[in-house]
Amino acid sequence: MSRVIEEAKKRAKLARKAKKNQVPYGLALLGVLAFIFVVLADRSSINALLWVLGILLGVVLQKCRFCFAAAFRDPVLVGSTSVMRGVIICLIITTIGFGLVQYMLMFPQGFEEIPPENIPGRVRPVGFHTIIGGVLFGIGMVVAGGCASGTLMRIGEGYLMQLVVLVGFIIGTLWGAWDYPLWDNLFIQYSPVIYLPYYFGFKGTVVGQVIFLLLIYYLAYLYDKKNSIMAKL
Amino acid sequence: MRQVRIDCMYEACPIPLLKALKELEKMQVGDLLIIESDHSCSTINIVEWAKKQGHHVDYQEVGEGEWEIYIEKAR
Repeated sequence: MSRVIEEAKKRAKLARKAKKNQVPYGLALLGVLAFIFVVLADRSSINALLWVLGILLGVVLQKCRFCFAAAFRDPVLVGSTSVMRGVIICLIITTIGFGLVQYMLMFPQGFEEIPPENIPGRVRPVGFHTIIGGVLFGIGMVVAGGCASGTLMRIGEGYLMQLVVLVGFIIGTLWGAWDYPLWDNLFIQYSPVIYLPYYFGFKGTVVGQVIFLLLIYYLAYLYDKKNSIMAKL
Repeated sequence: MRQVRIDCMYEACPIPLLKALKELEKMQVGDLLIIESDHSCSTINIVEWAKKQGHHVDYQEVGEGEWEIYIEKAR
């Protein structure tokens, strides 16, 4: 480690104020969370389960700094794909997990019989509106400094600027719901629902998709290596 | 050796990284850049980027939710 940095760190340490002890606040918060859990469990066990899952997801998001905005921004901005590769691994796990869920739920009937909107995992029409929505959301999340989950996670850890983003987020969601019939008339109802197992079978889709994602992972890895040499600084 | 301190308080990712990048371009090898930030993701972001570029880099929490990132320009 560099000597210059060590000295700067020491100087900052001397100037630093003593930290407040945050453990009592943490315990109090844990008490509130447990109380809400008990209230929920009394009414509906599924809500209590979702409550616990939501909190655990938030903790994982905060601790691992998983950021979908960074995943799609950093490859373009600084040529780094480490977060993006995390997202690809997520997609691989999701492919296998949702493959199993859909297979187990739909195996008795055979999936050809089930209309796409009843398949678990939100199988929806894909078309022009998907692209418009993706571009709008992409611009929004880079300007706002976080996607939906990232915004909520940062509010939770005390980064108050994201509260402004949350207000915008709510306005946007309501506006989107208001305009939904327009988009539905323009694109959505004419767009096809593409569910790959209809074409490739169940095992073929899961295996094929995992192989495809692994290929993208490898390309992202190559891109990362290449860009560390080409970068200006 | 010159020391430059940039204030990135209340700036969201990726502004601190972009500011650091611009400042580093103007600096000489051996100079020290100190970035003040309260955005935890930016800290990880900048440290990872600087390591990849081959600069000496480290960080520490100097207050509650406030970090200083140290980059010594190495090339």
